[in-house]
Formats: sequence, structure tokens, C-alpha cells
Amino acid sequence: MRRLPIAAMAAFAVLAFAYPHLVDAYWRTVGTLAIFYAIVAASWALLVGYAGQFSFGQMGFVSLGAYGSALLVQWLAIPFPIGMVAAVLVCTVVGAGIGFVCLRMRGPYLAIFTMAFSEVLRIVILTENEVTGGAGGLEVAPLFHSRTVFPYYYLALALLAGSLGLMGMMVASRWGLFFRAIRENEQAAAAAGVKVVRFRILVFAIGSGVAGLAGTFYAPFIGILTPDIGSVDQMGEVVAMAVIGGAESLPAAVLGAFFVEALFEALRAYGEWRLVIFGGLLLLTMRFARNGLLALAWEQVLRLGPVLQRARSIGRPAES
Amino acid sequence: MTALIEAVDLTLRFGGIVAVRGLHFAVQERELVGLIGPNGSGKTTTINMLTGHLSPGSGHIMLRGARVEGMSADRFAARGVGRTFQITQLFSRMSVLENMLVPGLARPHSTHVAARRQARLHLEFLGLAALEDLPARSLSGGQQKLLELGRALMLEPSILFLDEPFAGVNPYLRDEIIRLVQALHAEGRTFVIVDHDLEAIQRLVQRLVVMSRGEKIADGTVEAVRGDAEVIRAYSGV
Repeated sequence: MRRLPIAAMAAFAVLAFAYPHLVDAYWRTVGTLAIFYAIVAASWALLVGYAGQFSFGQMGFVSLGAYGSALLVQWLAIPFPIGMVAAVLVCTVVGAGIGFVCLRMRGPYLAIFTMAFSEVLRIVILTENEVTGGAGGLEVAPLFHSRTVFPYYYLALALLAGSLGLMGMMVASRWGLFFRAIRENEQAAAAAGVKVVRFRILVFAIGSGVAGLAGTFYAPFIGILTPDIGSVDQMGEVVAMAVIGGAESLPAAVLGAFFVEALFEALRAYGEWRLVIFGGLLLLTMRFARNGLLALAWEQVLRLGPVLQRARSIGRPAES
Repeated sequence: MTALIEAVDLTLRFGGIVAVRGLHFAVQERELVGLIGPNGSGKTTTINMLTGHLSPGSGHIMLRGARVEGMSADRFAARGVGRTFQITQLFSRMSVLENMLVPGLARPHSTHVAARRQARLHLEFLGLAALEDLPARSLSGGQQKLLELGRALMLEPSILFLDEPFAGVNPYLRDEIIRLVQALHAEGRTFVIVDHDLEAIQRLVQRLVVMSRGEKIADGTVEAVRGDAEVIRAYSGV
């Protein structure tokens, strides 16, 4: 039963490794961006899909991670990996703070609060142009001297694997059970002895830290940071990715990011109409596949396991 | 003797409405107490305060002699205070077994193996063992009540508050719940049961506490309370 998903994941890993060698430079860059979005979409899925905390602030944390690491490296002349770790820590602590402030907020109130956080951050970055470069952008030194995108692609892939591994271990552990219990019914979770306050803060902190990690990668990859990275539009894109993929599953959210990013590029010829197509796709997903289109497809793949097993046993000669 | 749990002069107001006023109420170890009263008399509010889901406006809650008012519900649960709800509160999209594992794994130093074994024992006891892989929402109303009881049992509680366990269940299941509560009580567990089903509650409890308009109006044996003039007045609305 479990062999098929493992085989699918192994095939996906091989494909992900081979991908940059199979496509041209343009699609290599698209692939790298898709991995960046996949990390953010997975962090959002952890918050919303597993713990039921509807945050609209993930791109705000991406922005904080991106600007934070870039500025720390510039100001303190520290090596990039240290700047990266420091910025992730800042995002985790700020995320924990927001989790604490939002403890009594649910659904739309939480979404509005986190959206406001992102907007405040975006406006601060825009206004403090002497520090952040404002609308003109903040130039960030490249991380690699290579002229190709290969090293960035593999770094992004490693960060995706690491963050998925961390979040995957969490959701597979008792913490994951507690997150889902809080999502289902906070009152019952508290009555069952779950430390609701602690776990709500924890999931916010980790989700924010992972989004910040994606931001620290984005800064040197893109080379110039603008405040728009934390905009509501960008957040909408991440939500669309996770929802179309399936917000209640980390792999489905990741696949959703790849699917939407690829489709977005493939439909470039349609200009702004692409957004209409995505809006329609989002509406259809919410109406007919609330767990996500790709999660639905994944369930069908999982069902193939027993079907193939049965087919094999039918083909096998009967034992005497 | 120190009471297992004790409400000392508990009062709670919601705006201008006094939901519970000056309530004194103690439950001893191994007691089986019924808490009854007409609608709106403050029974559920009392349970909510005694399990940490509401903080009293004034007064104390003593658990084995230690003050616990103002603590969160999870801390009450960790101290062995289990409860069920008036309207069943399950983790609907999680399986029956997962519903049981949440409190099992929330206990300190618990392991997956031990929690799973304990969950299966309780599910067997409640007659739900065959349903462990089903989502909780697919169970019947009565089975959901049993699952909620099972989930509370996973805390290994020293006291269990059951809020309307007989509401909306058929007579067969009502008898089954009575049998299960009696069996658990015989094992040494302490219960406080809130219900409107006086016939069922009288079969089950040793002592009745009656509330009306947020105040305790009677506390004694079933026979004594049944003949109490104030109780008759409260129930007849005269």
C-alpha cells in the first residue's frame, strides 16, 4: 500500500534533480521561482490546512526574511548563511509574537490582522527608502559567481527538502495531531488536555520561520528586492497555489505551487486574462474539490496501489 | 476530609445577567452527583467554570485543596478533570482512534504505543472498537456521545463532568450509558452528571444538587430533594 506513494515521491525527486538539465534557461528560472513559491505555499498549508489558522501574512514574512537577511549581510558584513539563519530567527520570533497577539482571533479577524501586518511592513519598507531602497529597490549581491541559475535551483531544492522534512516530521508527530485537533475544535482540544495557546503560537512561529527562509533565498536569487514582494497580490498567488494543490497536505501544496507557476508561464500569451483563468480555477476548486485539485488526483493515485495489486494477483497462477 | 473539587462562593455575570451567584458545592472522591435544574439555571456555566472553560467572576475553585480558578481548560484536564459537552464536541474529520489519541498523547511522558493500547481498551469497553478507522462525523449521535466519553476517559480523570449525556439518545443507548457510568463508578471514578432526564439521573446518582436562577436551592439524597418544596416550585414554575 505504501510502496506507491514512496515510488511517486522518488520519481518526483529524480525529476526535480534532472529538471534543470532538461529545459532551457528561462524554464530553469521559472522552476527555481516555483520552488521558492512551493516553500511559501507549504508553510501556509501548515498554518491553514493543518492548524486552521487562516493567515494572510506569509508573504509579509517572506519580505521580512528577504530584507532582513540582505540588510544584515550588508550592515554587519557577515557571511550570507549567518544572515540567513539570523533572519529566519527574526521571522520565527515575530511570528510567535503575532501568534500570541492573535490568540483570541479566528477566521476573518485573523486573516485581516495578518494582512494588515503585511501591509504595514510593506509600507514601512516603501517609506524607509534610505535603509531599504524604497520603491527603487534594494540591491542584493549574488550568492554564487556562476552565470547560470543551476546553483540557485539546487539550493532552493535543498531548502524545500529541508523545510518539507521539518514540517513533515512535525505533522506526522503528536504535534500534527494536536494541530489538527485545534483546527477541528479548540474547545474540545483544550478539554482533551492540548495546550492550545502553546501550539497556536508554535505553529505560527514555525510557519513564519519557513516563509522567512524562503525570503532569505529569494533576496540573492532575484538580486533586487522591492516592497511588492510582500503585497496582497503575491499573497493571493500563494493562497491560490495551496488551495488548488490542496491546503491540507504539504506535498499537495508544493505540487500546487509548481502547477500554478507552470500554468502562469504557459499562459503568458493571454496577458491579464491569465488572472481570470486562475480565478475561475480557484472558484471551481473551492466548489468541487475543497481539499484541492491535486490532492484529489493524489488520492486517485493512492487508490491505484490496491488496484494494481489485485490485477497482479489475478494474473498470477493459482497456488495448489 | 478534603473534597476532590469544591466551588467556593462562585459567581459569574454575563453583562447584566447573573448566570451563577454565590455557589457553594463540593464533590468528594468516588461520589456520583447529579446536577439538575430548569433551563437557564446555570448548570452548564457551573460545569464550564469547574473545568476551566470559563473563569469565575469571583469565588474560588479548589481541586484537592489547591486553588485552580483562572487556570486554562488544558491545565484542568492535566490535573485529571475530564468532561463531555452539552452539544457533542468531537474532532469531526479525524478518525475515532485519533480522537482518542489526542488526550492520550497530550498527557506528559505518554508514548504512542501506550496511548494506542489504552485507546483500544476504552473503545472496546464502549463498544466502538470496530469503528476506530471511521471519521468521527460518520458516527450516529449516540456513538458520538460514547466517543466523547471515551475521549474524556483517556485523560485517566479523577473526576468526570458529563453535560447532558442522555440528551437526544434512544432509550437503549441511554441504558447503555447508565451501565457504563455505573461500571466506571464501581471502578472508583467520580462523576458529576448534568441532565434533564430526571428518571435516568435518579437511577444513577447518590446525591442531587439542584440549581435555579444561578443559585443552589437543594443538595441532598434523591429522596430528600424530590420532596423539597423549593425544588417542586422551581420545576413547576410557580
